[in-house]
Amino acid sequence: MQIKPILSALRQHKAGTLLIAMQIALTLAIVCNALFIIQQRLAHLSEPTGIDEPDIFVVQNEWVGKLSTSQADARMQEDLRAIRQLASVQDVTPSNSYPLRGSGWDDGIRLKPDQLQDTSGSTVYFGDEHFIDTLGVKLVAGRNFRPEEVAPMDMRYSLSPPVVIVTRALADKLFPAGDALGKTIYLAGSPTAIVGIIDQLQAQSVERWAAAFAHRSVIVPRRLAVSLGAYYIVRARPGQLDAAMRETPRALFAINPRRVISDKDGLLSFAQVRDRAYERDRGMAILMGLICVVLLAITAAGIVGLTSFWVGQRRKQIGVRRALGATRRDILGYFLTENLLISCGGALLGVLLAVAVNLWLVVRFEMNRLSLAYVLAGVVLLLLLGQGAVLAPALRASRVPPVEATRSV
Amino acid sequence: MLKMTHLSKVYRTEVVETYALRDFNINVNEGEFVAVTGPSGSGKTTFLTIAGLLETFTGGQYHLDGVEVSNLNDNERSRIRNEKIGFIFQAFNLIPDLNVYDNVEVPLRYRGMKGPERKERIMQALERVGLASRAKHYPAELSGGQQQRVAIARALAGSPRLLLADEPTGNLDTQMARGVMELLEEIHREGATIVMVTHDPELAARAQRNVHIIDGQVVDLAEDPRFHQAVHAARANTPA
Repeated sequence: MQIKPILSALRQHKAGTLLIAMQIALTLAIVCNALFIIQQRLAHLSEPTGIDEPDIFVVQNEWVGKLSTSQADARMQEDLRAIRQLASVQDVTPSNSYPLRGSGWDDGIRLKPDQLQDTSGSTVYFGDEHFIDTLGVKLVAGRNFRPEEVAPMDMRYSLSPPVVIVTRALADKLFPAGDALGKTIYLAGSPTAIVGIIDQLQAQSVERWAAAFAHRSVIVPRRLAVSLGAYYIVRARPGQLDAAMRETPRALFAINPRRVISDKDGLLSFAQVRDRAYERDRGMAILMGLICVVLLAITAAGIVGLTSFWVGQRRKQIGVRRALGATRRDILGYFLTENLLISCGGALLGVLLAVAVNLWLVVRFEMNRLSLAYVLAGVVLLLLLGQGAVLAPALRASRVPPVEATRSV
Repeated sequence: MLKMTHLSKVYRTEVVETYALRDFNINVNEGEFVAVTGPSGSGKTTFLTIAGLLETFTGGQYHLDGVEVSNLNDNERSRIRNEKIGFIFQAFNLIPDLNVYDNVEVPLRYRGMKGPERKERIMQALERVGLASRAKHYPAELSGGQQQRVAIARALAGSPRLLLADEPTGNLDTQMARGVMELLEEIHREGATIVMVTHDPELAARAQRNVHIIDGQVVDLAEDPRFHQAVHAARANTPA
């Protein structure tokens, strides 16, 4: 290998060499961290909610005029009966919110009445005895709500449910020994008993502040009966989502036209709910991806530019090397090796810079620690990019004829 | 050692064909020191580039060390250049980014020679030209004469069968030129075959044999009294 003479020659071109090495280092540091952020965002937005997403849609129903709790509840019961009668619908449940909605009711849970700090945060979902079947969540211990446990509720009243169903994540947090079923907990200051445990149900918010209790949900046996209305979570029969989404509003307006189901977000399939919830994450991933592409393109262009300049500058020298016995492959190998050496130097610096940038992000933005796999992937990516970028000018160099040695500049 | 028969080199454009060499015949025996002379544009350098396999020719035959070279591919031509030919250029053609030692090492690396053998040959070649103490210097730190000596060391290090010199003293002052010429004569006395292109009659007179080229053809010196006179005059002025 010609490493020693190449290094000697590079020492005579310090400025260009350092410039490209620095560019590679900076690109590596940014690309490693950007790829890591992209992966985290993608993992976040593909996180399962625990519900039967393909068959579920949500209707946001608002009543026109002021209604008492009993009036609102009666109308709601009538709506639910009508929806259940549709051939395309499997089941429906009323609720105050649903996973990925963005906002809703979050509350602290304590294990003792005189406890000063919450044992865990939680997302509170209202639901009736149809909640589990409608959402398609799996009951892993205990029982479902009984119809007589479910009561209508105005937002002005305190929650105080007699029983609750919790997710396994919440049960494990509250009772790590695994004996949550039948235990009393304090939700919004009121005692209540855990009668059922479901496998998984994601929170309403996907924001970072809610990450600590992202899967710690509690279902209370309540129907939100207010003039402002409630959400009807509907589960269509398999393959009949479109039909169910068409028929449901029609059926509701047929019973009572004095209601509002907004064109904008009154009727949303769960796929739409997911899209909206993760819009920012997706946008951030795309932006980071674009930044990576632009940076890589700039670095590749820099390598092509500098190598092309060097090939032009060393045309005579290449001719001399050819005259002295270098084959075309030797010349190609010279420029590829030269680039590999510069890229390795840049990559070494870039690894240190990538770790430093990540440490700053960890401290400043509570990001996770960068995995070594991303640094290695970044190094390989940059080395391949360098070799790819240098190939065209190196091939051009290899075609310089030996007779160039005899030509005067 | 070097035999060209009815060789031609034509440069073609869309509208014109230019013969750089036409029915060119030359035979250089092993151990000879031949000076090739001729006016500017006569085809001296074209002859040298073809002789050194730096360029291909259009017609005729060229045997180098018994090998017909017209059918060799690029890699084979590179190998012959590397193993059998040593080049000395008018402009020295040292690689400015490399020091003296690394410059002499270039052809040896392309030959795939092992490190210890390379080192031995480089130091021998540098001692031969009196520049062993300058091994770590860069070309820009040397005089023109010293640079040409490094180029000669580079040409000698590979123990070539044939040394091709293109106006080797063309860029040197008289004193340095004399030194370089004495070195070439010494190398010749040790058995090397040298073909030197020059337009300087004094240098040509110091060679064993002179070949004169006019319009791309070797001409018989006996038919050109002016050249004879110039050579005689040069020989009379050359110290014994």
